Amino acid sequence: MSAKQRTTREILQSQTLQAERTPLYNPEALEKIRADFKSWTQEAFNAHAREAWQQTPRTVLGSDTPRDLVYTPLSCPDFDYQKDLGNPGQEPYTRGIHPDMYRGRKFTMRQLTGFGSAEDTNRRMQFMLDHGATGLNVLFDLPTIQMYDSDDPWAAGQVGMSGVAVDSIEDMDALFKDIPLDRVSVSIVTHYPSNTAILFPMFLAMAEERGLSRDHLRGSVQNDTTLEQLIRSGAEYIPPEACFRLQCDNIEFIRQQVPKWNSTTLNGYNLREFGTSAVTEMAVAAANAIATLEELIARGHDVDAVAGRLTFFWSVSNDFFEEIARLRAMRRLWHKIMKYRFQAKNKRSLWMRCHVQTSGVALVQQEPLNNVIRSCLHSLAAILGGTQSLHVDSYDEAYSVPTEEAALLSLRTQQIIQEESGITDVVDPLGGSFYLEALTADLEDRILNELDKIEQRGGYVQAIGDGSLHREIVDYFSKQHADIEQGEIKIVAVNTHTSQVKPPPINVFSYPEGVEARQRTKLAELRQNRDERRVQAALQNLKQACGRSENILPFSLECARSRCTEGELFAVFKEAFGLWNPPALW
Amino acid sequence: MTIKIRALLGKLGIDVHNRGIITVAEMFRNAGMEVIYFGNALPAQIAQTALQEDVDLVGVSSLGGAHLTLGTALIQEARRLEIFDHTVFLIGGVFPPQDTLRLKEAGFDGVFTPEATRSEIIAAAQELVHAKKP
Repeated sequence: MSAKQRTTREILQSQTLQAERTPLYNPEALEKIRADFKSWTQEAFNAHAREAWQQTPRTVLGSDTPRDLVYTPLSCPDFDYQKDLGNPGQEPYTRGIHPDMYRGRKFTMRQLTGFGSAEDTNRRMQFMLDHGATGLNVLFDLPTIQMYDSDDPWAAGQVGMSGVAVDSIEDMDALFKDIPLDRVSVSIVTHYPSNTAILFPMFLAMAEERGLSRDHLRGSVQNDTTLEQLIRSGAEYIPPEACFRLQCDNIEFIRQQVPKWNSTTLNGYNLREFGTSAVTEMAVAAANAIATLEELIARGHDVDAVAGRLTFFWSVSNDFFEEIARLRAMRRLWHKIMKYRFQAKNKRSLWMRCHVQTSGVALVQQEPLNNVIRSCLHSLAAILGGTQSLHVDSYDEAYSVPTEEAALLSLRTQQIIQEESGITDVVDPLGGSFYLEALTADLEDRILNELDKIEQRGGYVQAIGDGSLHREIVDYFSKQHADIEQGEIKIVAVNTHTSQVKPPPINVFSYPEGVEARQRTKLAELRQNRDERRVQAALQNLKQACGRSENILPFSLECARSRCTEGELFAVFKEAFGLWNPPALW
Repeated sequence: MTIKIRALLGKLGIDVHNRGIITVAEMFRNAGMEVIYFGNALPAQIAQTALQEDVDLVGVSSLGGAHLTLGTALIQEARRLEIFDHTVFLIGGVFPPQDTLRLKEAGFDGVFTPEATRSEIIAAAQELVHAKKP
């Protein structure tokens, strides 16, 4: 970013100053309320209580946002219904992106699934669909995420662990066997731009072979530089600039070729769970989104052609009202960024659409059934905040991948909220609450200020490259850890209300055996049976495209069709882009 | 006699979750130990580094399910390089409850789940190093 360029905060402030406001509360009423409030606080509270009027909730993954004892119209005296909220589905979209929200379209129940072989995960996905899941959410094993084939030395012992093993289009085909991809939307949790550029083409090539039109495919990939360069712990990294370029290549290709596919899921979740506050989580994702849009505009794209398929992915954790408020705050802020910074015209471009996963870090091993309650509160906050889709973490995840029983309970949590509680009948039910509106405004300011800090330092890619975000994260989680140890952040049955009674053991998931051996056999057969000349030509063409700063996706798609393996493509990236030493976290 | 413990810490295999091991690295440093952080490595590489760096303690972290396979391989490598008898091996992470015992049977001197506190981890590290040092 050049020195002359204005930051997002500067742009928005100049816009906000120009806007005329129509406050809801009239000055006369506010005067009366103020006088009465003052005498009430004098009568009802002693000096000590008045001094302690503001308290800061100390919570897991919280933002230390101070709270008053009680909120009144005085907390948001110039509150303007139309400018600050609008009706649902109207600018600034604080109340939700659709006019009828969950009455019209319920949040998608999208439970993350992945373990063992493609066949194992396919069975679990079928089970979840049979029990009423309305979307799929596929997680890969560590070798697949880190882009090594199942027979690579780096993969040993980790094939099919904490996700599903996918080496080639053949596994992708087995993974989605008998799943109607023209009807069910699929979130493919690719994590990094690099592996998105490898795995999504495998998915596309598989759909091609089934004769499905790209126009009918619905879903999302993750494709996020934050995940690859900032949060990941891995053995080999490509440089941040190359990674960011792949992120933009993926977006560009998907926008042009797969119209209903969400081309990037700007990741807050993993960053937050690694160790940042609710505010930093959103500021970093916004900074990434802004950098991405600028790059795509520089490549000659119209902002509205790209922005409508960006989505966000948030962690919702323990501070209940902060979580609700910041989802609303981010919707309002994103609308302003798109409207005033990028002059977007299309309604979809102005929408902050998101998926929420409840916080995994907030779940503990002690008395694991308590986690059911924690996840339920997280879910409720996500829904009151207006999320588009939801994954509820299972109570046994502090031990392993969820059992079928625990995964079903997570789905049932969503269904109980959707079907039994009446919560989804009214749009933005907490809108207009003095507390929630004051907190929403406060969080919007705080997110914008953090975004400003990143932009002042030179923007998103710079902040990753120079290690400043890395250091911020370590500082945050070290402090959280110390605060939990000292009991300042309370966790029931961990550092408060602890019990000497050992709860009965829970069932814990065991991974299916023999997956690694089966993947090795499959790979050997694949390499035996494929057209090796075609494979080598496809890899060579991919390498040349990497060097030419041309969109690489058509070439990685040809690699997928040719039955290249994931590791072969990663090897091309490493050769073409070189390796990067990330800033030391410790 | 107090010795300055030299510890080698990092992630077992290509597991991506490093918040826990970085927290432990900070704990060890604050407790006066010398910490070498290796990032991500395979069992043979870890054992080889432990030999070259002549450390008193090796601490590895696994949250991705590979603790038994890679953990067992690490101990085997350490025995092969003849460093097992005088080096303390610790493992931490997210495991099913029954695996704590299996990791101890495999040869780990200490096994820690997220329930372990700072004082437990540091006390165990110090006691085990003193007990195992020649």
